Amino acid sequence: MHRGKGMKFVGDSRIPINGRKPNIPKDYSEYPGKTEAFYPDFLLKEWMVGAVFLAGFLCLTAAEAPPLERIADPTDTTYIPMPDWYFLFLYQLLKYTFTSGPYNILGAMVIPGLAFGSLLLAPFLDRGPERRPFKRPLATGFMLLGIAAVFYLTWQAAAHHDWEAAKRQGEIKEVVEVDKEDPGYKVMEANGCLGCHGGNLEGLTGPQLVGTEKTADEIKDIAVNGFGDMPPGLFKGTDEELQQLADFIKSIEADK
Amino acid sequence: MSDKQRVTRRQFLTYTLMGVGGFMAAGTVMPMLRFAVDPALQAKAGGDLIATGLKESEITNEPQRVDFKFDQQDGWYESQVTQSAWVYKDNNGDIIALSPICKHLGCTVNWNGNEEFPNQFYCPCHFGRYEKDGTNVKGTPPRGPLDRYDYEIKDGVLYLSMRAKPRGGA
Amino acid sequence: MLNKVYDWIDERLDITPLWRDIADHEVPEHVNPAHHFSAFVYCFGGLTFFVVVIQILSGMFLTMYYVPDIERAWESVYYLQNQVAFGQIVRGMHHWGASIVIVMMFLHTLRVFFQGAYKKPRELNWIVGVLIFFVMLGLGLTGYLLPWDMKALFATKVTLDIVQSTPLIGDVLKTLIAGDEYITGAQTLTRFFAIHVFFLPAVLLGLIGAHFLMIRKQGISGPL
Repeated sequence: MHRGKGMKFVGDSRIPINGRKPNIPKDYSEYPGKTEAFYPDFLLKEWMVGAVFLAGFLCLTAAEAPPLERIADPTDTTYIPMPDWYFLFLYQLLKYTFTSGPYNILGAMVIPGLAFGSLLLAPFLDRGPERRPFKRPLATGFMLLGIAAVFYLTWQAAAHHDWEAAKRQGEIKEVVEVDKEDPGYKVMEANGCLGCHGGNLEGLTGPQLVGTEKTADEIKDIAVNGFGDMPPGLFKGTDEELQQLADFIKSIEADK
Repeated sequence: MSDKQRVTRRQFLTYTLMGVGGFMAAGTVMPMLRFAVDPALQAKAGGDLIATGLKESEITNEPQRVDFKFDQQDGWYESQVTQSAWVYKDNNGDIIALSPICKHLGCTVNWNGNEEFPNQFYCPCHFGRYEKDGTNVKGTPPRGPLDRYDYEIKDGVLYLSMRAKPRGGA
Repeated sequence: MLNKVYDWIDERLDITPLWRDIADHEVPEHVNPAHHFSAFVYCFGGLTFFVVVIQILSGMFLTMYYVPDIERAWESVYYLQNQVAFGQIVRGMHHWGASIVIVMMFLHTLRVFFQGAYKKPRELNWIVGVLIFFVMLGLGLTGYLLPWDMKALFATKVTLDIVQSTPLIGDVLKTLIAGDEYITGAQTLTRFFAIHVFFLPAVLLGLIGAHFLMIRKQGISGPL
């Protein structure tokens, strides 16, 4: 800022009275070559990209409701924890033998610490003047290796996660109170069905039975012979009890 | 190219820029504003009338205080709230249910609350007074007559609305 | 009228140079997609900032309905998403925006890295950028707990276990973050809320300010 004798200021401030910069944009002839004024020329291009992006983004929010699982239940120990997707690679890293158990510190601190530490300090690790990726093979190589590792670990975590089970475990369930005095309910209790299907048949590790689309005969068959992950031979009662069980499950559908 | 044309080009770019910027601002902020003003635009729940437990035959010419409870849904929060009303029959036999909330600053008024002013509703906070029909006594702080509840008699029992309504034009 | 108001302010504060400098600065040819289509790679930083703005705005509006309490948090989120007009859109902006910020920032980082744009004299700006990246990950981590649904709680438990495995100070660190030595509950939620809504955004704004100031001061890196 100009300082000197004879300068006049606005009041007792440091703002000079004269020589204020006129609010006139620089003439286009002052931009050499193919350079461009930031405002409005270049900003318009940026904002056009932004507008297209925003349109796509709004379509996404309109099409896909953000997921919300059921209210947190700390007592439910069957739930398979899952972080948001961008933490999956760190999560997967902890699953290998060389990064878990006694070596947990390696997977939890050392490897991520080295990776992110070197990312932070990249300008001091790669100090040469060369900027082209092919002319600094070490930096480029390590970065590609890191990216490959992140992608691989994320993919591994996603592939090994049981998405369907997780979806079932997280679903918001309308728990219908069932009649616990029904003979069919007693049969289910005696045969251990509730351990997997829930005390109100709302489903735990096994699927929800409320409102099942199966017929009574199919239910009987599944109870005896199993289905999917459910092993055969779980039901050990009489035929009469089996009928009570099937009728009971069908009756809950009628309630709904 | 003359200077004039250059200015036009810059202006054109500026207007386009404002247009695109306006679209971005609107696209981001409009959903959020609609989200924020939603409580003001929610359809007013007319609300059912609430049974008070007071029988019609028990309503006299003398105002009596009636408390009634109902479940209130406040967004995600449900609770049971208690409302009060001063209920009596006027000279024509019509039922009148007045809100006990003073129209001055929201204290609770009482019938015959002060011996100096018999047969009036009296507010102990700033000495506001109302006639029996809820009209505010001139010269006391309240700015209007007491609100009234809507009512209905079903099976001989008095039902009142959840909220009292201000009396228009009184 | 507007001009007079502007003059009145300018006479007192001399604001013209502040913004004319930004408005008139020359944008070089190599970052301009009108001249080289490949220049679109320079958009990722700007888009990251745009999504950050959306995140801040949508977050501000979400707190109009959200309560950071373990008994009511889930219900308030369920309510704002399903009962309030545009609730799905506004929560969607915040939820999907969180992912998109990470993607955009990742692409921006790669662009800067493979162009070697972090080299002298721009080392400091790279460091600030990586710190922004860390803050964003912190925001993602703390924000994930707030809806208090199953995945939120159990993912946070895993995170806290990892924190606890830190040598020497693990237990203290965990207690400090979770608010309790054993429980992941009421105190964890309020802490995460405070960190997510006040602490990290304040740090983020400071870092982003520094990031932009340095770009303005040094100019964008030249073509390869």
